[in-house]
Amino acid sequence: MSEVLELADTGAVNVAKPAPSFLFRLGGVLVALSLVLMVMGPWITPYDPNRPTFEISEPPPALTEIPGLLWKVITGAPHDPIHWFGTDSSGLDVFSRVVAAPRTDVAIAVGANVVSLILGSLLGLLAGFARPWVAGTVMRISDLIQAFPVFITGMILVTLAGRSNMTIVLTLAFLYTPIYVRLTRAEVLSQRNRGFVDAARVLGKPEGFIALRHVLPNALAPSLIQASVTIGFAILMTAGLSFVGAGVRPPTPEWGLMIAASANELIQGEWWSSLFPGLAISLTVFGYAAFGNGVERIYDR
Amino acid sequence: MTDSAPVLDVRGLTVDYGGRPAVEDFALTIAPGEIVGLTGDSGSGKSTLAFALLGLTRGPGRIKGGSVVLEGTDLLALDEPSRRERRGRDIGLIVQNPRGALSPLHRVGQQIGAAYRSHQAVTGAQAAAHAVDMLRSLGLNDPERRASAYPHEISGGMAQRVLIAMALGSGPRLLVADEPTSGLDVTIQAQFLDEMWRTVRKVGSSALLMTQDLGIIANYCDRVVVLQNGRQVEDAPTRSFYAAPRDSYSRSILALRKEEALADATPSRLLEIEGLRKIFPLRGSNKHVQAVDDVSFSIGRGETVGLVGESGSGKTTVGRCILRLVEPDAGEITFGGASVTSASPAALRRLRRKLQVVFQDPFDSLDPRWTVTDILAEAIDGKSDKARIAELLRLVGLRPDVADAKPRALSAGSQQRVNIARAIAVEPELIVLDEPTSALTPLARIAIIRLLRDIQARLGVSYLFISHDLNTVEHMSHRVAVMYLGQIVELGTREQVFRSPVHPYSKALLGAHLVADPSRRRVDRTDIQTLSGEIPSPIDLPRGCYLASRCPVALPLCRDQPQPLVPAPDGRLVRCTPAIASLKQVMH
Repeated sequence: MSEVLELADTGAVNVAKPAPSFLFRLGGVLVALSLVLMVMGPWITPYDPNRPTFEISEPPPALTEIPGLLWKVITGAPHDPIHWFGTDSSGLDVFSRVVAAPRTDVAIAVGANVVSLILGSLLGLLAGFARPWVAGTVMRISDLIQAFPVFITGMILVTLAGRSNMTIVLTLAFLYTPIYVRLTRAEVLSQRNRGFVDAARVLGKPEGFIALRHVLPNALAPSLIQASVTIGFAILMTAGLSFVGAGVRPPTPEWGLMIAASANELIQGEWWSSLFPGLAISLTVFGYAAFGNGVERIYDR
Repeated sequence: MTDSAPVLDVRGLTVDYGGRPAVEDFALTIAPGEIVGLTGDSGSGKSTLAFALLGLTRGPGRIKGGSVVLEGTDLLALDEPSRRERRGRDIGLIVQNPRGALSPLHRVGQQIGAAYRSHQAVTGAQAAAHAVDMLRSLGLNDPERRASAYPHEISGGMAQRVLIAMALGSGPRLLVADEPTSGLDVTIQAQFLDEMWRTVRKVGSSALLMTQDLGIIANYCDRVVVLQNGRQVEDAPTRSFYAAPRDSYSRSILALRKEEALADATPSRLLEIEGLRKIFPLRGSNKHVQAVDDVSFSIGRGETVGLVGESGSGKTTVGRCILRLVEPDAGEITFGGASVTSASPAALRRLRRKLQVVFQDPFDSLDPRWTVTDILAEAIDGKSDKARIAELLRLVGLRPDVADAKPRALSAGSQQRVNIARAIAVEPELIVLDEPTSALTPLARIAIIRLLRDIQARLGVSYLFISHDLNTVEHMSHRVAVMYLGQIVELGTREQVFRSPVHPYSKALLGAHLVADPSRRRVDRTDIQTLSGEIPSPIDLPRGCYLASRCPVALPLCRDQPQPLVPAPDGRLVRCTPAIASLKQVMH
């Protein structure tokens, strides 16, 4: 007995976690930045994003001037107001508007995803646990929602329900819920036959307890990973809706609106008022995708 | 053995994984016609060694030094193309998981032929004919039809034979087999090893057999090499190895061979099963699988009943019916006087606390997001009673510091101890042990068997021990039931079933049992009954006795009449009228 016990390891062993990749870190920084700007963006802008200045269609400072301007800002030397990203044809400061926009864009995207994630995973859990006809009904309704083109349905619903931030959140949540229903249900189906679920049944735990405490937490991983990608899509969608005039009302600082408003000036060479919001969208969507990818890798191990 | 030049001569072989040696200074010679067994616990470097011998070491692994001389040529000194030419021609490899090693898109005959053609200048037609010949020589009936089958159309045992055909196709001088029978049923395993043994002996090639099963080594190997943490701790002829192993690893594994008395069971009955039946409908058709077919037995207080049988025999379903994890279709289960089968949900919840379970996969049975404390607290009514948890951990031989660990951070053996701790936390009267040691290394397996016996002696709990591993069943059980296609075919005391089985199926099953004792080798025994043919599909069962088509003692009436399970003169139950008749003759 003693010899066996000496050889058999009876304690904890260390499991090495892989080091996070560069893309994951970059994504994490961008996600964090977007969330910080969502909370504080409108408070830290150098100009009021909704009040025009007297400089109309002023281009951003040339690259060679930037070090000098920075020096002035740092030393507090007297200087003319600086429009880092220029001003648009109404004289609004582009930089301030790009910084203030996450309050709308990211908030709508995150809000819509939180609502659809909660709703979708609970419905998915129901579809995975309930009787076949309940599961069938939930899944067929999901199919139906997903059968329509997302953007056009979004446009119609927002227009019908009235253009406000809340309707956009609810519309996006409605359109994205089936994604989470499907992902959660697939995972629930594989988790509910795991050994620890049966072990909990044998301990006499009620099915509801098992579903919420054992199955759901273990079935959430794919949805959480999906959420980071869907938030990126939702930002694109919010911007897209306002670009076609079916989203946020002007003059709210919003990336899609900014691009739409300056699309005409683009031809006359005023590239800055649409380029910077465009870059902001791209970087944010990329950041969330890279972050989600990294999270998936860590879960995969 | 012969004193001619060795087939394989390995010297000072060292393989490194990122600076950490996986195999260190390994030396081995294999003489022509010799079968050498290589054993060691998981992670001891067996597979690393197998790949290094074939020059297949992959990054981050690196061969740091040494030589692998195969018939006078150092394989490690060759460049990759000439090594590839020798691989397959001079060394054959058989890996675990036969189906995974076959391409699902090609017919098996094509795959055997392709392996042959890559080393021999033959036409496609010649290669195809060779493939059929190989399959025929390996004892497959109807080899032409088998050769044109896809891997998913053949059984696991047949897939393994296809792999031997591929490995032996070019008549290699050395065959390397890495756990060739893990995942196969005992009778198929014995069939396969017999064939490999016969083929190797016939063509006079040599073999290196890597396995954790000391029964396989005792039965088929001439010499034993033991690896521990990458170091060679033993190299001895099989007989002297089993008589007196020198290293601690082998001693602890072989220690279990000694008979140890079981705790006494009381005659009072705890669980009674009468006429249990379970049918699973098949999806997409109106056919069904008869998983459990009229099973009746009882378990006494403090008793262990072993339930043995091959995969698909229904033994796991019996366990799940007792726990009501599946609803039985017919039959009555009574536990401590109360009916399990007709219990209301509330009564069932109360009943289940007296009835616990330990599953096969230790990691799968623990919620990966919970700590050991959370898992045990769930069992003891959600209260995080520190003293009780510490006591439970001590009972199952775990260090107190695992309490805050999550399952992933524990070894498989420790995970299974947590599962056992959770099962005994509610002070049950019966624990269903569903293959509790099958996923463990030999060392962990022995420790768990000892632990389970220790717990039974201390707490007086009863066990239903479900396993296909006859060694562990023999060490755990007071009584043993043998199942075949959903039916119990023989039920008797451990001595009755293991020493003198009566039913033809029990005889074949125990004949296939590889005892870790070179003086009881299977190949030397002459009294072994073997079964011909394949197990009938549980979807289309024969009308009469399910074994009749494979049985060596079948009478014409066996094919038409189902056999009843009736008491034999010595008290055991047997489902075979001819066997009982001959037993009566012997006793008179």
